[in-house]
Amino acid sequence: MKNMLRILVLSLIAFGAVAQTPASSASTRTAPITNSDLKNIDIPKADARAKGDPDGSLTGTAADVSVADSKKGMTIGDVVNQVGQNKVAINFVWTLVAGFLVMFMQAGFAIVETGLCRAKNANHTMMMNFMVYGVGMLAYWLIGFGLQMGGVGGIANLGGAVPLSSEFTINLFGKPFGLFGQHGLFLTQGGTYDVAVMVVFLFQMVFMDTALTIVTGSAAERWKYAAFVASSFIMGAFTYPLFANWAWGGGWLANLGANFGLGKGYCDFAGSGVVHAVGGLSALALAIIVGPRLGKFNRDGKPNAIIGHDIVLVLTGCFILAFGWFGFNPGSTLGASGNGSLRIGSIAVNTMLAGMAGSFGAMFYMWTRYGKPDASMTGNGLLAGLVAITAPSGFVNSISSVIIGLVAGVLVCLSVEFVERKMKVDDPVGAISVHGANGIWGVISVGLFADGKSNYGGSWNGVTGSVTGLFYGDAGQLVAQLIGVCTLIGFVFVLSFALNLAIDAIIGQRVSAKAELEGLDLPEMGALGYPEFELKPGAVRA
Amino acid sequence: MVALGLLLTFLGFLISFLSVALTSSMTGRLVITLIGLAISLFGVIGVLNRAYLKNAIWKR
Repeated sequence: MKNMLRILVLSLIAFGAVAQTPASSASTRTAPITNSDLKNIDIPKADARAKGDPDGSLTGTAADVSVADSKKGMTIGDVVNQVGQNKVAINFVWTLVAGFLVMFMQAGFAIVETGLCRAKNANHTMMMNFMVYGVGMLAYWLIGFGLQMGGVGGIANLGGAVPLSSEFTINLFGKPFGLFGQHGLFLTQGGTYDVAVMVVFLFQMVFMDTALTIVTGSAAERWKYAAFVASSFIMGAFTYPLFANWAWGGGWLANLGANFGLGKGYCDFAGSGVVHAVGGLSALALAIIVGPRLGKFNRDGKPNAIIGHDIVLVLTGCFILAFGWFGFNPGSTLGASGNGSLRIGSIAVNTMLAGMAGSFGAMFYMWTRYGKPDASMTGNGLLAGLVAITAPSGFVNSISSVIIGLVAGVLVCLSVEFVERKMKVDDPVGAISVHGANGIWGVISVGLFADGKSNYGGSWNGVTGSVTGLFYGDAGQLVAQLIGVCTLIGFVFVLSFALNLAIDAIIGQRVSAKAELEGLDLPEMGALGYPEFELKPGAVRA
Repeated sequence: MVALGLLLTFLGFLISFLSVALTSSMTGRLVITLIGLAISLFGVIGVLNRAYLKNAIWKR
């Protein structure tokens, strides 16, 4: 019996080998296709199409290839052009849909922040999260996009985006240092009325708005609305685009590899640093300037927990954000076809794994330390894992993703405790810890965990090869990442702090104590968030 | 103190930025960058934030 089975298996293997042989030899004998071959291709007849196409076999055939000259008929040139357009079309659609997902994250942020704040500030918190979208977009359209992407110098997956080709550069230490872009103001200047540029704008705009909306969380429940508008406009026009240019727009950080041999330069695949750390550090600057909410700290400095009004909103918002993150990270390939873009599957899986690990890390930390699996911190753990994996998502494997997410989940809890108990900074939603601390952790983790297996067109930031971290043999990558972290803390934080100090001097950042105690809905917005509810005072727990 | 905190924080950035020009040794660059990072963190946590805590609203 055993012998019979062996013979059967060997026969099947032999048959398989024989069956494969003609196919492989046929592929070596392929003759070049000529224009005359194209004329013999069967296309569905009109009467067949008129009967409908329930199985889809008649739709999308040679009849759908655009022909440049109808007298000549279809040529090789027509086919090749169609292939090129299909590739760019796939990438346009992919990038736009990813951008739409990221745009919807605004809704997630809005309800997370509102749920973590008290009911008396619901209208004010929602309105900040709602209008940060418009204020940021206006600033970015007018100024920010040009500064950030005006000199990026071409994006192959999107057909070039060639007009974005003018970077302001200075020479230091004998090397060029890109500082800001010069094309793209109003999406017209410098020839930027261009289909690919529009795709880049939409995708980058929603990223910028994510950074801006982080700040509204740390300053919630005491931020003057007019100051919020001014601060968000300046951040969307200058603070965010400057760092984003240095990292993504062809600026000096990205070129640390090409100019100084530091790995592949500063690498931030989808923005742990560019989006989240910039937002988180600006949130820290704001929280220091506006000061803590009344009742947050006792006279001896002991903190009180000020409970949010709706944990259902908080966790629903976290899920919406996790959903949107599938646009954030996989979308950052700016395509699904060409230049290694098929890695989108790996990036999406890394994203969901890190989020999962983050929620576990935070839940078990809180459970062990305080006896209960705190819901809001578990939600923040999910977000922390997602923030941390944002930079490395395109460069690491699934095991590293889980480690990065797990560390993030614990780190967010430690950071919340440090910010509240040691720094005595009041951050109602944990934005500084979720986005600032874990944004920085994400940037560093690229320098540690990047496995050198990714291949996005053979190079990254103009340096041949794959991004490789310290654990896989390239210490230079870690140095590049750390220089990025120093730039975030030492430049972005300082710039953000100085600009918001100026706004404080001109407009004033903080509402009056009377307005704060009453709740900001009526004094600042003129209407209550929940007009039919009677709100109880004193939702402060020692 | 606020200005000093901001200056220290910015100084930390400058030091890490200059690491690329000060040495070509990877270890040297790593050490200089870490020194810059420590100075920046001290500027934010040890000086700038402490200056704000002196007149914190909860102390009044």
